[in-house]
Amino acid sequence: MSRAIPLQTKKKWSIKRGLIYLVLSLFAIANAYPILWMMMNSFKSSKEFTVDQLGWPDQFVLDNYINAWNTANFGVLFGNSIYVTIVATLLTVFMGALASYCLARFSFKLNNIMHTYFVFGMLVPIHATLVPMFILMRDLGLLDTPVTLLFPYIAFHLPITIFILTSFMKAFPKDIEESAVMDGCGLFRIFWSIILPMSRPAIATVVILNLIYNWNEFSFALVLITDPMLKTLPLGLASFAGQYTTDYGAQMAGLTLSVLPIIAFYLFMEREIVRGMTAGAVKG
Amino acid sequence: MHNSMKRSWFIVLGLLPALLVYTVFAILPILQSFYYSLMEWDGFSDMVFVGLDNFKELFQDELFWNSMKNNVLVVLASVLGQVPIALFIALLLNRKLKGLKFFRTIGFLPVVLSTVVISITWGLMYNFEDGLFNVFLRTVGLDALAQNWLGDTTWSMPSVLVTVIWQFIGLYLVIFMAALQNIPEEVLEAARMDGANEWTTTWKITLPMIWDTVIVAVILCISGSLKTFDLLYVMTNGGPAHSTEVMALYMFNQTFGQFQYGYGSAISVLIFAFSLLLIFVVTRLLGKKML
Repeated sequence: MSRAIPLQTKKKWSIKRGLIYLVLSLFAIANAYPILWMMMNSFKSSKEFTVDQLGWPDQFVLDNYINAWNTANFGVLFGNSIYVTIVATLLTVFMGALASYCLARFSFKLNNIMHTYFVFGMLVPIHATLVPMFILMRDLGLLDTPVTLLFPYIAFHLPITIFILTSFMKAFPKDIEESAVMDGCGLFRIFWSIILPMSRPAIATVVILNLIYNWNEFSFALVLITDPMLKTLPLGLASFAGQYTTDYGAQMAGLTLSVLPIIAFYLFMEREIVRGMTAGAVKG
Repeated sequence: MHNSMKRSWFIVLGLLPALLVYTVFAILPILQSFYYSLMEWDGFSDMVFVGLDNFKELFQDELFWNSMKNNVLVVLASVLGQVPIALFIALLLNRKLKGLKFFRTIGFLPVVLSTVVISITWGLMYNFEDGLFNVFLRTVGLDALAQNWLGDTTWSMPSVLVTVIWQFIGLYLVIFMAALQNIPEEVLEAARMDGANEWTTTWKITLPMIWDTVIVAVILCISGSLKTFDLLYVMTNGGPAHSTEVMALYMFNQTFGQFQYGYGSAISVLIFAFSLLLIFVVTRLLGKKML
């Protein structure tokens, strides 16, 4: 008798656990299977693809990759994406950090107004600016140049960058800088050797946010870039998929190539990325 | 005196680069879209000032209302799909489970992928002949249920909405998981001591304590889904027969497809106004309920 009760609760408990795991597994499959399906089929010959789409490939055929690489100019796309992503991120974070330092550590007349002005940018829907951005770039003679995309990417990610960095820098105690000033340190020196190193966690967050946004950005690239030699990965993929609608294998190989770097980056830095993206989302 | 001069110069020089790029490439375009919205303009020849004519025309434009209706459907599907599913999964994950990290990692994965990749992959899955869904249905003998998912006006919008919901559940999932972790263990402990079962604890304590986060998620969800563009541009380009066209897509096609820069700008202005208004109203409504 005395043993029956714990046994029963144990059983109930395990049914509930089982149900929870069932639901979670279904959720995980729904999340991962589309990506996995795409990757698996990128290794199948077109014959195998028509016969068996749902399972693992019999043997890993690389033809699709060769086709995709040759027809879609992936080398160029990768190069452009890496260049735009890294340069825009570095410039955004550097400019943003310098501005944040001024806003967070000095009091001057326009400080609050300036801060609000920057943060307002988070409310501006990017698509509402596509038309004037195109005209502006055309008038400035900047359409289809290697620096075109840097401007909108920097401009639209400065608000979130400044927002996260100022709220982080405001929390520092003042005495470190004061003693540095006493020692005859210049302000830029203080920024570079004291404030930046101290802000490392927040800098990491904004770097990750910028990297992911810039790597995946599509709308501005679509409107501002037509030269095939300047296209970024998302743009190149979209036009590649549009042209080779019947070559599924090559499309999936191209997709796999383009997601592998971001998935590797994600798995490697998952904690930081989740923290960064949620901070960005909650504040943006 | 000398020092404060130096300081002022430093502040000016420090703010200038960010201020310049941000003003020219983010704020100026918004102001210009207000200006262009008052013009009749094909983007090349001279502009003609037409006042509010573009807006008048827009209000009588059935295709515009259609795109707004579809946009509202995207908002509703996101709010009613993403938020409850994410909340449910987060509540399931909010206990000592093996593999918690695994489920979170997989759950968040779609969020970091580019929308273009997601659109093309799902487009391939929806394909009539060789797409995953139809192949699966035919494999299990349900041939009759196979549909031309994206090519049929009845099915195009529901199909697209499934992808829309799928893409961002993970974002809200991790937001909710973080909020749930912040609830002090003692509060839940006390409830259990008082004999509350899990169901009651969840409804009476857990949910009210993370309600602020739920509201933030709803607002994010609304402003995010009003910006829907890439996904539909790549997946369907608004078709078939405008059945999946949203406001940003209609704006894009009017401007760059029909060369109606003024008209397109008027749509931009409405998107801007509409999203600010909706966010304001929702904040107010949900904010009041809380009190």
